[in-house]
Amino acid sequence: MPKEIYLVKVGMTMTEGMVSEWFIADGAEVIKGELLYALETEKINLDVDADASGTVRHSVETGINLAPGDVVGYIYEAGEAIPETSLTIAVTEPAVSIEAAPDAQVKPSAPSVAAVSGRLKSSPAARRLAGELKVDITALTGTGPAGRIVEADVLLASSGPGPVKASPLARRLAEQRGIDLSTVRGSGPGGRIVQADLDGLESRPASKAAGTAGSTAQVIPMKGMRKTIAERMQQSLQNSAQLSMDMLAGMDDAVSMRTQLLKEWEGEARPTYTDFVVKATAKALRLHPQMNSVFAPTGITLLDEIHIGIAVAVAEGLLVPVIRNADQLSLKEIAVESARLASSAREGSLGLDDYAGGTFTLSALGMYGVDSFTPIINQPQSGILGINRIFDGLTWDQDRPIKTKQMNLSLTWDHRVIDGAPAAEFLATVVELISQPYRLLV
Amino acid sequence: MNEFDLMVIGGGPGGYAAAIRASQLGLSVALAEKEALGGTCLNWGCIPTKSLLHSAELLRNLGHAAQLGINLGEVHFDLSVMVSESRRAAEKLSQGIQHLMKKNNVRIFAGDAVISSPGLVRVGEAEILADNIIVATGASPRRLGAIEPDGKLIWGAREAMTPGFLPERLLIVGAGAIGVEFASFYAALNSKVTLLEVAAQILPVEDSEIAELAATAFRAQGIEILTGCSLENLESSETVTALIDGEAREFDAVILSVGVQANLSGAGVDKLGLELIDGFIAVNEVQQTNLPGIYAIGDVTGAPCLAHKATHEAMIAAEKIAGLQPQPIQKKRIPGCTYSYPQIASIGLKEADLRGRPFKVGRFPLYANGKAVVSHQTDGLVKTLFDAESGELLGAHLIGEGVTELIHGFAIAIGLEATEESLIQTIFPHPTVSEAMHESVLNAFGRTLHL
Repeated sequence: MPKEIYLVKVGMTMTEGMVSEWFIADGAEVIKGELLYALETEKINLDVDADASGTVRHSVETGINLAPGDVVGYIYEAGEAIPETSLTIAVTEPAVSIEAAPDAQVKPSAPSVAAVSGRLKSSPAARRLAGELKVDITALTGTGPAGRIVEADVLLASSGPGPVKASPLARRLAEQRGIDLSTVRGSGPGGRIVQADLDGLESRPASKAAGTAGSTAQVIPMKGMRKTIAERMQQSLQNSAQLSMDMLAGMDDAVSMRTQLLKEWEGEARPTYTDFVVKATAKALRLHPQMNSVFAPTGITLLDEIHIGIAVAVAEGLLVPVIRNADQLSLKEIAVESARLASSAREGSLGLDDYAGGTFTLSALGMYGVDSFTPIINQPQSGILGINRIFDGLTWDQDRPIKTKQMNLSLTWDHRVIDGAPAAEFLATVVELISQPYRLLV
Repeated sequence: MNEFDLMVIGGGPGGYAAAIRASQLGLSVALAEKEALGGTCLNWGCIPTKSLLHSAELLRNLGHAAQLGINLGEVHFDLSVMVSESRRAAEKLSQGIQHLMKKNNVRIFAGDAVISSPGLVRVGEAEILADNIIVATGASPRRLGAIEPDGKLIWGAREAMTPGFLPERLLIVGAGAIGVEFASFYAALNSKVTLLEVAAQILPVEDSEIAELAATAFRAQGIEILTGCSLENLESSETVTALIDGEAREFDAVILSVGVQANLSGAGVDKLGLELIDGFIAVNEVQQTNLPGIYAIGDVTGAPCLAHKATHEAMIAAEKIAGLQPQPIQKKRIPGCTYSYPQIASIGLKEADLRGRPFKVGRFPLYANGKAVVSHQTDGLVKTLFDAESGELLGAHLIGEGVTELIHGFAIAIGLEATEESLIQTIFPHPTVSEAMHESVLNAFGRTLHL
């Protein structure tokens, strides 16, 4: 029996994806572990390797949207009969409704396309964007590989975030002077941008209010990771009842214990304070299962497993790799795993499972000197804990002030799931554990 | 005591338009007019002179009738009928304005209005309280030193458009739009016209290339043109003796058309402390004077003294008073028309204004336009000026028959800030003289088809 090649599922929220590129040609040999195809979803691009050796037969072309788990091809072992073509598309999502334009952009470049004629090739991101911008995707001509419609085509068709009203002269002057018209306020009839509006900009080059100062304003395109973050963060705030509180933890013992462990585990692991908080949080979540839950209108699902995501800043934005079953890992194991995830995230080499399945998230800004913030919940989770800087604070021994290392922990939680008192109890548990860090070692 | 939201002083094309617009916007409006509604434009300017010029045009065309296969025999004209027809047209239109005032519930106060103080106007016995006052009192012909029209042989514009006789030798002092229109009219009636202008060119506000073409056409009609000359004295007895640059010359009548001055004394605005610039009321971009609640529009605020500028300023003032945010007027977007033969129409900058900046000029002569050829109106030029870098249409200057009905096309283009691309992409109908507009634009960019 040939071995099926599946469209792998990446993360809980993946609903569709596509083979954006085959690394092994149809009919060519692959060795197990070799890169087989490139997966593209709304969120990530990922290279998938072969989990068997043999002759590869594609059953889908690149650029066809499929559901995770769909078969995209087969690997035939040596000696197995290999059919002429195995192209049998399981069109799992008629709801995509791109079929409305049967004569659309499918280029009859290969005989194998017969099976997919009628299906418009477009990237998922392009289709989502088209929906948002109300662009008729069937009317577009794709510029991507094999004529596939990509985000840029949709953006071009929508001419940016919205039509800018400007006179022909203003448009030409803006082009010549490198002024982005979307940053210009129109003073003409009906808010139309006219020549005078641009003259004003030019004559105030030093004015910050002018924004563009006559030179090219940089526009960061709303796509890829930036777009995903923007949408998810806004949705999170819109869809839930978030609120935040701070609690102070004494860090003297944690600081001295970390110093000790750095020596003890040298060459094996370098525990960070975040690792301490991961461990403390995992333990606390076990004691306060409501904080480890998913809200749905029909009910709150308390999750058995505790997978803690850690927000990692990367050049393009933010990634949240997940330490799986953090409650079952020792502090040392957590330190090893978190170091691996952080470096993989920065190298862009995070694997499939590294993202998926987080049940609670930590976000650390202490290294930037932050003392308090209100992190935004990574939905569908119910809480996120912000880790702040360690500073020299005071405690009182009778009337005598004592200098102590302290750290604020900032908890944001979803009030739909947990009320203030139990949330405070959860936070108090984390604080207690971090203040008595020997308890993290058992 | 009468109370209104707005009191308009002056019923010309500025004043009556302001009253209508304000009424449309829900304000209670009164208007004071000491003579006939419609102002100078309708009663003593644009309208009656266009009536006279229409008679002259027909007379001129009838002279060419045989060429087109129409034999009329000898053609005669009656100056007094021409004049009475022009008066009838003015009166008819003035009545139309009365109807419009009634329709828009504008209360008319007939008589001299005097602004006693901001908010209070007297018209005869009547006292009118109004939070807002629009001064639209217009302008009158300017005096030339000590020389004044005597109504007999020395005429102002009013006498010139209601002549009691046809002067054999006519001197016209001042070759602006009014002067050249009278020159065309009287030349068509075979008067021997001398056109005197102190500036170096006739039509001093027009592009010099166009003015030169006009001068050539006028000379061909027998009009004598004296530019760079000044009138030193006039003596009137049986005839008029004019001293021009030291030379005495005899004429049967003289028309003085040397510009206008603001009508300030009539409405008492000279005593209010209104700020003036060069004898005209100073206003900001929404027609407000330095006194709160007092606006001014039209000729009383200065050049260009054109009816359509007054009407546009009327919209701005009325809308500002009603709480809207009107767009300020842009003077370079005001077209100007002269109904001489040939006609002249222009908008925007002249070629001389463009010294020192890169520009493109397009020219298309009417002799290459089919419609002009069949109409025997081939004397003319459409000249367009563009910014070389941005393609902005900076100015358009036309001379030839019917060009006053074409200039609005360029006014729209400039108003919408069209570049050459928009104009080139526009489809002009064939066969029309307007195709010359298109060709002029094409010419500026090296794409002329019919040259």
